Order: sequence, then structure tokens, then C-alpha cells
Amino acid sequence: MTITFDENIPIFQQVAYIIEDDILNGTFRVDEQILSVAQFSQLFQINPATVVKGIGLLVNEGIVYKKRGLGMFVSADAKVKIQQKRKERFHKEMLADLLSEADKLGLTTDEIINMIKQLRKD
Amino acid sequence: MSIALACDNITKSYGATTALRNLSLQLEEGAIYGLLGRNGAGKTTLLNTIAGGIGADSGTIEVYGRKLSKREQPNACCYVRAEFSHFGGARVIEVLQIAAAVYPHWDWDYARELLKLFLIDPGQKIRQLSSGTRSLIGNIIGLASRAPLTLYDEPVLGLDVLMRERFYKALMEDYANHPRTILLSTHLIDEIAPIVEKICILEAGSLLLQENMEQIRMSAYLIRGNSEAVASFTSGKRVIYQEAYGRGMLAAIYEKLDDQKTRFAKEQGLSIETLSLQKLFLYLIEGGL
Repeated sequence: MTITFDENIPIFQQVAYIIEDDILNGTFRVDEQILSVAQFSQLFQINPATVVKGIGLLVNEGIVYKKRGLGMFVSADAKVKIQQKRKERFHKEMLADLLSEADKLGLTTDEIINMIKQLRKD
Repeated sequence: MSIALACDNITKSYGATTALRNLSLQLEEGAIYGLLGRNGAGKTTLLNTIAGGIGADSGTIEVYGRKLSKREQPNACCYVRAEFSHFGGARVIEVLQIAAAVYPHWDWDYARELLKLFLIDPGQKIRQLSSGTRSLIGNIIGLASRAPLTLYDEPVLGLDVLMRERFYKALMEDYANHPRTILLSTHLIDEIAPIVEKICILEAGSLLLQENMEQIRMSAYLIRGNSEAVASFTSGKRVIYQEAYGRGMLAAIYEKLDDQKTRFAKEQGLSIETLSLQKLFLYLIEGGL
């Protein structure tokens, strides 16, 4: 399987996102083992050094933990941590990009909020 | 990290043509390198010189810290030439038997597995094979040799998309299980971007750029917008290519930008996007840095 990588984000971060997504959607549950570096590298055809770096991000953030000689496992509070981190990114990056586009179009804050409410209803 | 290969100041000329010009290059042990360059940039000459197929006019080559004599074929090295074409009259299995005798770490089980993966009949003669299948024979030798230093010259030349994907997958899997140093030349630049850890770009026989892939992804940008805004943003930065259109300007820069700088550019109404490796390569060659 090959996935198309977003050129605007370093691949190791995308490796972390892929694993985070799989934790959020229940593919990997608490205290379950995630894919090994070799499996991940082969599945997505990414250099193992890049995969190690991506998993390293998740270890530093306490989203996965290492069991010596066994592999990487999902932390108890992984979901909460991922959501917190991603909410911040949603706020600071995605909304900022959205607003910069809205500025080009001359949309007011009220107009934007109404659009969001409309979409939420549908 | 220790150095698997060190080329120092290599020059090689063919008559009036200089194929390699004072080229120095070091490869760290256990990493995969992509070797990029236009036709005639010197990629094959470099690989063949390292493998001892041709002797350099001057300069030295060290493999795992040992200096090679001229045209010495280093034991630790497996060189896979583009479109394997030796022993045309031999059968595939016979060619693999020769390789098995040459490479001390040869793995027969793995070689047989690869024949199945690449759908190759071991009884066929080399000259009956298509060019893509001949490339695959070379790749089987490169993989199953498990040589500490493996050089591939255009390993996906002539391969269809299915076989290219199978080769990349096998390369990744076997590299993860048996780490080694790999140098791989290709024109399909964006396909190898996620696979390689580092990139070497050759141009006119010299090394134009050697860099970590992740570093490149964080440093190569295309800026577009109003000429003045582009000029003021790129001022003092390393601009590798620019082109004006009407009141607009397109500029490729090679410089690490943090979030703050990116945000600032967007506030100035500039569009800013990361360059793919292929685009970076193109602009480097076009712009001449």
C-alpha cells in the first residue's frame, strides 16, 4: 500500500498522524501493540529511520510507550492527549488558514459563523 | 556514525569529456542514499568507479576505512548495473548461482522468494527477458547479496508500476531487517523521496547538493505573489530560481522557514508551498544555484 504524502508536512510527522488516527479510530486500543518499524516501513514504503523518528514523537508526548524487547504500546490516556494536541493545531493552524482565505473573500466573522452553523445542521 | 564510503577528490575524464570533476562524497553506514542527476551528470561513472569497474584519473576511494587500489573491486560492495545484461546466453538460475559464489552473505531462500515475487521463471535465458525483467534480475542480486554496501544504477528502469512498488517494498522490508548502506540512482525522483534518507545531486561531474530528506522538505519552498512582496520576502534568503510574470513573481528558495516566517509570508498575501524533491531538483538545475 502506498499513501500519498502531503508535501507540506515532514514525513515523520505524517507517520505520527497515521498512528494517531489509528488510535483515535480504535485500530489500536489502550495497551495494544502498534505496528513495528519494519512493518510500518514496508506497508507504507517509508525509510525506517523516518518511521523511528515519527514514533519517537509519540513516545515523547506519552502517546505510546516502549516495552523493552517487545515493541511500542498505546498509553492509557493516548486518546485524550492526541485530542488535546490536535485541538490546538485545529485552532492555531487550520482556523488561521481558513480565516486567511475568508479575508481574501471579504467574509465577516458573522458570515463565517453562520456558514459553520449551517453545515453543522446538515 | 561511521563512514561506509569516502570518495575524495575524484576526477575521471573520457578524452575531452570530464565525467567526474574533483568529486568528494561520504556515505554514512546504514543509510539509504538517492543519487540524482541529469543524463550525463556522471552518476553511472561514479557508481562504476566505486565498484572498481573503471579507474579514476586521480583521487581516492575508501570503503569501510580501507583505501582501495586503482580498479580494486571492494568485497563489501555489490554493484547492480542498469538493465542487467551479462551472460546473455545463461539461464536466470545460472546467473544467480554465479552471484551466490561471489557474495559471501548471499541468501538463497530470499533469492527464490524474490523470483516468485517478481514473477520470473528461473529457467529462462537472460537474452529472452524484457529490459524491465533484466533490471529485476539485477535487483534480486542486489537484495539477496546482502552486501554491506549496495549500489543500484537505475534499478526501476523499464519496470511497470506494479513491479516498481514490489521492488520498493522488498527494498524497505529487507533494509529494515538487514540494515546496510545503499546508494541508488534514479530519474523517478518523487517515487524514491519517502524511501531514501539522504539525497546526493550530481551536476556536470560535481556534487551539487548532499542533504537529509527531512531537511530538504523543511527547506525547499515555492513562493508566489506580487513581485514586490516576493522580492522583499526573499531578500537575504537563498533564492535558487525565480521567474516574473506580469506583476507577479515566482521564486524557489532553499532556506529553513519556521512557522512564524511562513505565517508572515501568508499575511503579506504570498502563497507558500513546499517543493517536491523533483521540483527542487529541477529548479536547482535550471537556476544553477
